[in-house]
Amino acid sequence: MKVSDERDDVLLRYAAKGDETAFTELYRRHQASLYRYALRMTGSPWSAEEVVQDVFMTLIRQPKKYDADRGEVGAFLFGITRNRVMKHLERSPRELSLDEDAESGSSRQPADLLTPAFWAERHERVEQVREAVMSLPPEFREAVVLCELEELSYEEAAAKSGCPIGTIRSRLHRGRALLMARLELLRDVPRRASAGD
Amino acid sequence: MNCEEFQLIGLDAGTGRITSAEKAAAADHASVCAKCAALADSWEAARSELSVFAEATRTAQAPARVQMRLLQELRSQKRPHVVYRRAGIIAAWALATAAAIVGVVSWQSWRSRANTPQARASVPAVINSAQESPVSDAVLVADEDGGNFTPLPGALPIDADTGAVYEVRMQRASLGALGLPVNEEDASDWINVDLLVAEDGTPQGVRLHDDANQLASLQ
Repeated sequence: MKVSDERDDVLLRYAAKGDETAFTELYRRHQASLYRYALRMTGSPWSAEEVVQDVFMTLIRQPKKYDADRGEVGAFLFGITRNRVMKHLERSPRELSLDEDAESGSSRQPADLLTPAFWAERHERVEQVREAVMSLPPEFREAVVLCELEELSYEEAAAKSGCPIGTIRSRLHRGRALLMARLELLRDVPRRASAGD
Repeated sequence: MNCEEFQLIGLDAGTGRITSAEKAAAADHASVCAKCAALADSWEAARSELSVFAEATRTAQAPARVQMRLLQELRSQKRPHVVYRRAGIIAAWALATAAAIVGVVSWQSWRSRANTPQARASVPAVINSAQESPVSDAVLVADEDGGNFTPLPGALPIDADTGAVYEVRMQRASLGALGLPVNEEDASDWINVDLLVAEDGTPQGVRLHDDANQLASLQ
């Protein structure tokens, strides 16, 4: 059986014995989603990179921390990522990067299809939204990231956050309200409505 | 649907999280409530902005250097264990083999040495002389034997073949320092002796040169 056909827990077992191919496959399967989550939560590619590296370092150094009875490897990795992100946010709640696009590896459309003005405007909009998302308290930000950016269902978001669905809905509701207010403020547009009213 | 319900689920109208009936109820409420309609518009604008942000990060991946660092860590974590374990096994076998060889060689050496006529002749003489303390008697045995060394007090009996023999010129009083009796009247005389020195550098025996005067004066 090829490595790419193996289950995550099997790959982890091989990786724990030093199998680089198995580890690489495991890394490729999960790094992007973990990186995106960390990037959207921290707003900093450097921090996201540090978080992802830290998560997989943990996997290398302490593979026995994973308990198959408690869930999938992906959920285990996401749990570590979430803890690292939250710790990072506690340390530096408003750390914002000024050079996201330089390092994030985010998708860019081919430059020849876009005018500089379009790119500048788009970049400005992305920066505004990112700043607005970063301004949310971590719990609300996580709900917005998971439900709006990752487009997970409430059940999936609740499972990832380790809280009840009602809590996620409540956090999302508050997060949306704050986000709308923040975005309108950034756009310098008077608020038209507030969910909290 | 009232305003509170609209705020909770009405904003999900653009997603698949609510049923079509709920979507219809939300649309109905928005059509009659200006505040909720404004809220829906505001959220749609925000959602549009969010989608741009989501799109900008949709294919974001960790830089390749992260994978390189991790693989480096994996190698450093795993390989030394294997290398150390192999090295340990090899070292243990080498040590055991060396110990066995040393044991066999020592035993054969001891056997061959014990079987030679010279060893049979010399070793008992030395042992006998060592056992025949006091020292004055030992001196006499050496003198009588002529070619044999007189063991020094406290020295273990060894064969002259295994030690080094040094010809030394010394004052007779120096024999006293080796534990041998010295005639005080001739203590300042110079004599020639052969000194048997063990491998560890300690003097084990002494043999006076065949000189009648020396023997006489020693006695």
